[in-house]
Amino acid sequence: MSTKIDRREFLKLGAAATAAVAIGIGMSDSRGLIPLPAAPTAPTKSRKPQESPHKWAMVIDQSKCIGCDLCLAACHAYNDTPPNIAWSRVEEVEPTSEGKRVFRPTPCQHCEVAPCVEICPVGATYHRADGLVMMDYDKCIGCRYCQLSCPYGVRHFNWDKFTGDNPDVPYSGTPEVARRPRGVVEKCTFCVHRIDRGLSVGLTPGVDPDATPACVVACIYGARVFGDLNDPDSPVSVALREHPEAYRLREELGTAPRVFYIPAETMEEASS
Amino acid sequence: MKVMALYRRHVVPAMREPVFQWMAFLSVFIAIGVGAGLTVFIKGLHITNLTDLVPWGLWISIDLSAIALAAGAFSVSAIAYLLRRESVKPVAKTAVFVGFVGYSIAMMMLLLDIGRPDRFWHGFVFWNIHSPLWEVTMCVGLYFTVLMMEVLPIIGHWEPVEKQFPRISHRLGSLHKLTPYLAVVGLLLSTLHQSSLGLTYGKLVARPIWYRPWPMAINFYISAIVGGVALVTFISLFSAKLTPRARINKDVLDKMAYGVGWAVLFLFALRWLDLMIAMPAGYVPGKTEALYVLTRGRLAFSFWGLEIVLGMILPAILLLIPRFRRNENARMVALVLIAVGVIAFRWNTNLVGQLIVFGTVAGSDIPLFTTYMPSLVEILSGIGVIAYGLLAITFGVRFLNVIDHGEVVEAPAEAPVPAAMVPSSR
Repeated sequence: MSTKIDRREFLKLGAAATAAVAIGIGMSDSRGLIPLPAAPTAPTKSRKPQESPHKWAMVIDQSKCIGCDLCLAACHAYNDTPPNIAWSRVEEVEPTSEGKRVFRPTPCQHCEVAPCVEICPVGATYHRADGLVMMDYDKCIGCRYCQLSCPYGVRHFNWDKFTGDNPDVPYSGTPEVARRPRGVVEKCTFCVHRIDRGLSVGLTPGVDPDATPACVVACIYGARVFGDLNDPDSPVSVALREHPEAYRLREELGTAPRVFYIPAETMEEASS
Repeated sequence: MKVMALYRRHVVPAMREPVFQWMAFLSVFIAIGVGAGLTVFIKGLHITNLTDLVPWGLWISIDLSAIALAAGAFSVSAIAYLLRRESVKPVAKTAVFVGFVGYSIAMMMLLLDIGRPDRFWHGFVFWNIHSPLWEVTMCVGLYFTVLMMEVLPIIGHWEPVEKQFPRISHRLGSLHKLTPYLAVVGLLLSTLHQSSLGLTYGKLVARPIWYRPWPMAINFYISAIVGGVALVTFISLFSAKLTPRARINKDVLDKMAYGVGWAVLFLFALRWLDLMIAMPAGYVPGKTEALYVLTRGRLAFSFWGLEIVLGMILPAILLLIPRFRRNENARMVALVLIAVGVIAFRWNTNLVGQLIVFGTVAGSDIPLFTTYMPSLVEILSGIGVIAYGLLAITFGVRFLNVIDHGEVVEAPAEAPVPAAMVPSSR
């Protein structure tokens, strides 16, 4: 029996093998957990984002924050970050004039004029229509230029693969997103998966816990508030209306962050 | 048995030649470097000393330096083909080869440095036209292609290729006709990315010491030209000392060295002006500390010593004052020092913005100092890549006759390339 195959058969075999491989690759791409929202098809083509009715923002009340790090624990668990990466940090800053300790949590500021979005060579970090600064882990080449560009130091590189247990699971929550691969940069997403999932089932982010960032839900002191700036009745709009003294970090750089801080004491209190 | 016989017949006599001993010596470092590189690929970047605070270290400095010192390729080509200096044309061939080696060093180093080497091609597919680094990626990729087209004729004239594949050799050789056009493209692409490398740092608003777009871009561009031309001149002079295979035209190189002397003086003035402008009158958080690190702190030696005195002032004296100019050894020392100065400039510039963090970590409302010392695996892989560069240049001088400035080689515009245009070593 001859083992020779003729040209037609060879081509057939080849086509079948290619199809099998293609299907295999397609099937193997199931990540199990909630997939991150896909990038808009061409995020870099037009700088003007498509219209979105929402404008997400966070307000952090420093007079309420006691630096307990509950928000960090929840973030570690829900976003399944490795122990050496924290998507936001809580640092102690100058005490008030009465000597009360003051803390400042710093998540990604989701700048409207984000230096990282401007300089990412492959457009792996981009603005969504609602203004969130997103990471496309499938595009990132790991050049770490964005880490140099970020004025707030909230971007973290996966120097190593995160394997093993997450010490904050299940005590502070359960992972809701897939772990990031080695060699890409990651950062706070404002729990975009919770926002999107909540919106899709008719919840209001910032009001319903299931649609609100994990750190905001975890804060038992109500120091973190989340919501839609376009909605005058959202928690953030109300908080900003009540506290005109709210400020943003390193405002002089012109990055226009979407995280607002209510100082622990107002100017009048400090001077009195 | 056959292997042993071949070994005895070819390798043993060859090893008596110093150039082969030198190449074997370099190969050892290349092998070690490959080992270190593979370790990084397999284990990941956490085995380096790079951190979230200092994410760009030794490797970035090496590829910035390699790209800067490869700038001789476009500068000398522009002098030869756009300013039409016939006598410089053969030097352009040397410069192009050195440039090719420089860019290949940079690309290898970058491949090691990025977190996802498997996605090196993303820059060409996913565009972010606002990013200087994207522009650098594109231009480096395109310019590497240009250099390849300029180097292919040289490889076509390599003896074994010429003998065994005369038709391929002829085809490759005919690419030489494109050289004047490639010189224009090369000038354009190089100007774009050499300055954009400066802008890569210069546009970062988060780092006050870097945030001066124009001075950074201009300094990077000018220093690349000065360093690149100096290196090409040095390699030519030095090779001619070592081997009769490198045939140089003393007059041309002398003129180039003299020009480099004035250029380095100009560079010195620029750098000084840049620092004067950068120096804030009062206290600027982040910037004042960074200038302190540069001029009096951790980087003081590599700034004052390597960059300013050894890299600019001394070479200018050696190249411009007639008494020293006549001394050929002094000239060579001056040229190599300029290259060292350019490397030091890249190292200092890269680190000065990262050794100070301001507002980016807990407690850094007051600027904090960080440290960086390359780890062993970074150093070994870096040395391996540099050893590859030296090996490639040695190979070029020994086998490809890249330094052959004796005769003006010019392809006639229309006629097919005659074999006579081959600068023969026989």
